[in-house]
Amino acid sequence: MESKPRLLVILDIVTVLLFISAVSMVFLYAPLEAVMGQVQRVFYFHVANAWVGMLGFLVAAVSGVAYLRKGDRKWDIVGLAAIEISFVFFFTAIISGSIWARGSWGTWWTWDPRLTTAAICELVYAAYFMLRQGIEDPDRRARFGAVYAILSFISVPLTFISIRIFRTIHPVIIGSGAAGAEGSFDMTAKMLQTFMFSLLTFSFIFADLLWHRIRLGHLADKTENLKLKVLQ
Amino acid sequence: MLYSILQQAPAETTRYMIAGYTVIFTIMLLYVLSLIVRRRNLERDLETLKEMEPKEE
Repeated sequence: MESKPRLLVILDIVTVLLFISAVSMVFLYAPLEAVMGQVQRVFYFHVANAWVGMLGFLVAAVSGVAYLRKGDRKWDIVGLAAIEISFVFFFTAIISGSIWARGSWGTWWTWDPRLTTAAICELVYAAYFMLRQGIEDPDRRARFGAVYAILSFISVPLTFISIRIFRTIHPVIIGSGAAGAEGSFDMTAKMLQTFMFSLLTFSFIFADLLWHRIRLGHLADKTENLKLKVLQ
Repeated sequence: MLYSILQQAPAETTRYMIAGYTVIFTIMLLYVLSLIVRRRNLERDLETLKEMEPKEE
């Protein structure tokens, strides 16, 4: 059994400590929002989850470019790892956003530009896994996966800017939003600190999970190669 | 007076906050567990395959 690198152990510990601190800040440090009440606290991890989603999709697109240029299998493993993690976190962002919407807008879902583009983005990346499942040859699978990761990244900036260019009820916390936005709030200094700390924490969570998932990918490759050798 | 106090109080949305964080923590935990389980299964498969691997003379 392969031992865990020392740096990864340190990263695990730092990430857990940051996560505990972020949770404490959300519930104990950040003040209660005057209009929405407690449900506003969902905002800190909702945005942080979406951030991890978009960050991972970017990493996958960059890995796709690297794979197409160098043809090195390790970039395919990185791309797959990043998309898997981001897919999970982006899904969490959509679900937690829906719960927040119920508390502040009075509805679980509305076909608002942000919610629609986010749902499309998630479905586009769901198709990535289906594409990979349908291709037997590893090199072909990696090549198609790389191209798909690059093309599907178009949906990410579209999701990000949707609330800035379309008329929407989704609040824009950073920058100016549409006049019809509901659930907007002015962040106090403590809210901003909690928000930024949550983003930092989730960046660490992403890096830590990515490293673990890449190691898992290498192990899966090793097992697959040995399986082929034994079967020959 | 009472109307004015009620107007100023934040909305009672605690259950949505609890639901939101339950979902977030549960999904994160399940994902971490899936990584652990998949790793353990692969290590087991690898051990079995190593035992089956033909020895080179």
